[in-house]
Amino acid sequence: MPKANVNSNHSAIWHKTVVYGIVSVMLLPILATLVYSLSSSWGATILPDGFTLDWYGQLLSDPRFLAAFGRSLLICSASLALSAILVIPAIFVVFYYFPKLDKLMNLLILLPFAVPPVVSSVGLLQLYADSAWPIVGTPWILIGTYFTIALPFMYRAIANSFSAIHLNDLMDAAHLLGASTFQAFWLIVLPNLKKGLLASLFLSFSFLLGEFVFANLLVGTRYETLQIYLYNMRQTSGHFTSALVMTYFLFVFLLTWLASRFSAKPAAISE
Amino acid sequence: MSYVNVTQLTKRFGDNTVFNDIHFTVEQGEFVTLLGPSGCGKSTLLRSLAGLNPVDGGEIWVNGENITHHSPQQRGIGMVFQSYALFPNMTTAENIAFGLKMKGMGQQEIQTQVQQVIELVALKGKEKHYPHQLSGGQRQRVALARALVVKPRILLLDEPLSALDAKIRKHLRQQIRDIQTELNLTTIFVTHDQEEAMILSDRIFLMNQGKIVQQGSPEQIYTQPANEFVAQFMGNTNLVSASAAKQLFNLDTPHKVAIRPESIYVKEAGRHYEPHISSPQLGVIKQHQLLGNVIRYQVEVHDCELSVDLLNRSSERLLANGSQLELLFNLNEIQPVSA
Repeated sequence: MPKANVNSNHSAIWHKTVVYGIVSVMLLPILATLVYSLSSSWGATILPDGFTLDWYGQLLSDPRFLAAFGRSLLICSASLALSAILVIPAIFVVFYYFPKLDKLMNLLILLPFAVPPVVSSVGLLQLYADSAWPIVGTPWILIGTYFTIALPFMYRAIANSFSAIHLNDLMDAAHLLGASTFQAFWLIVLPNLKKGLLASLFLSFSFLLGEFVFANLLVGTRYETLQIYLYNMRQTSGHFTSALVMTYFLFVFLLTWLASRFSAKPAAISE
Repeated sequence: MSYVNVTQLTKRFGDNTVFNDIHFTVEQGEFVTLLGPSGCGKSTLLRSLAGLNPVDGGEIWVNGENITHHSPQQRGIGMVFQSYALFPNMTTAENIAFGLKMKGMGQQEIQTQVQQVIELVALKGKEKHYPHQLSGGQRQRVALARALVVKPRILLLDEPLSALDAKIRKHLRQQIRDIQTELNLTTIFVTHDQEEAMILSDRIFLMNQGKIVQQGSPEQIYTQPANEFVAQFMGNTNLVSASAAKQLFNLDTPHKVAIRPESIYVKEAGRHYEPHISSPQLGVIKQHQLLGNVIRYQVEVHDCELSVDLLNRSSERLLANGSQLELLFNLNEIQPVSA
């Protein structure tokens, strides 16, 4: 059927055009930033005067940048570790003992989205300003806040992994074979969550790494994270900040790629 | 005292009674089936025996020991689930070894035992496969092996064949029965499929609405149904009212009367019939269905529609709709049944 073939070729070309068009529009600013970060100077001319890696050299040898990057990694890892440790057992309890609570949990995890960051950070500032815990301006308040932002991503991904296994049957089978509830959780449930957990961790990580509003309002320069550093460097050379943005992008790309690698293969389900 | 004794077992969910006052015994090495329509409480009863659902009353004794309030881990009962419930993160060998590991058995001993049971269920060569790499029948055999390897006192099977297609199902049910016989394993099987129950079981406990309505060998349950429900649940049957029974069989009874479609004959000219065969009744064929080796005719006799099964011996003997025939009834096979 040559005609149908021609038709499908046409539509394929059309679809590809749209997809590549959108991709190139979205890549354009990133590519421009990349070129700018690699050029020695790019002023009144159409093309840059020359290319150099100096800006990257400057950036990567700036101890302030390395410290800010380190702080960001530390805060993100700490909040994600906290959320993994708290959320996984919580979801297990919800799914295994109180399945009806899943609906309530789905509402609860939407709360961080319902309140705009500026509003909730002002609220947090007021709440903790005179509190017995003087945590405003310390990384601790940021870890706690990031925990709440990561919660929806973590909960959904892990809850999906839970629904993909026959949790009750697996637990029953393990119990009958002599395992305690803790052993069953540790040896059977946890390994089956691994893929969903890793994917959600990498995604949340790259998301939290780019967080600015909470970091700026709650802590600001008192604990300079990557985004605050970028903000404070806005007056310096555009080439330098471009190099900074590209470094950050590369890191996030790497994380996103890892996340998609882990979620690409669906978890082995006995169905 | 029997190997398994269940007395007055009762289970309620809120106001809803799942099963009530269940009594039965199972001998060592016996294969019994809990048979019943879905929602009759048979699966919940099985789960209660395993300790997965607590009971609200009654006792379960196994080998002289009261296990009613033991945890599932302490009961020494193996179970195979309809969903297989294999651990997706473990290979065949690891799945089977799990129970032995939980017992704290040594690595060497575990390997020997796992190998033995893998041979028993014919899964050699699949040791390193993960559950998602196995077919449905293979998965269920892994589940069976996993339950067998810990040498349970009782094996419980919860509709293990329901998710499989017809051919594998027939093969696997024979395999289950062979292994059960070889190990002389006390087995309780749950199914809603009366054919499966009749083929496999030494005894059948037929359940309806949370009660065991009849227990006995497959022959007893099929030929002597205790009530209307049993008669209709086991295979096909004609239930005729008391007044129609008077007309058709000249039988005085306050109950309805059951007669199987295969116990009704078509009168053939020149053939001598035994005295237990009734006098002929004139009937008209309303419709017929070809079931393969059997043709099922719907015949109207005295305002009463009966199913009559005849062997499909040759296409020339196929009777057309609307044709008249004389029916004979095997009077030894008619059963008055209470409601």
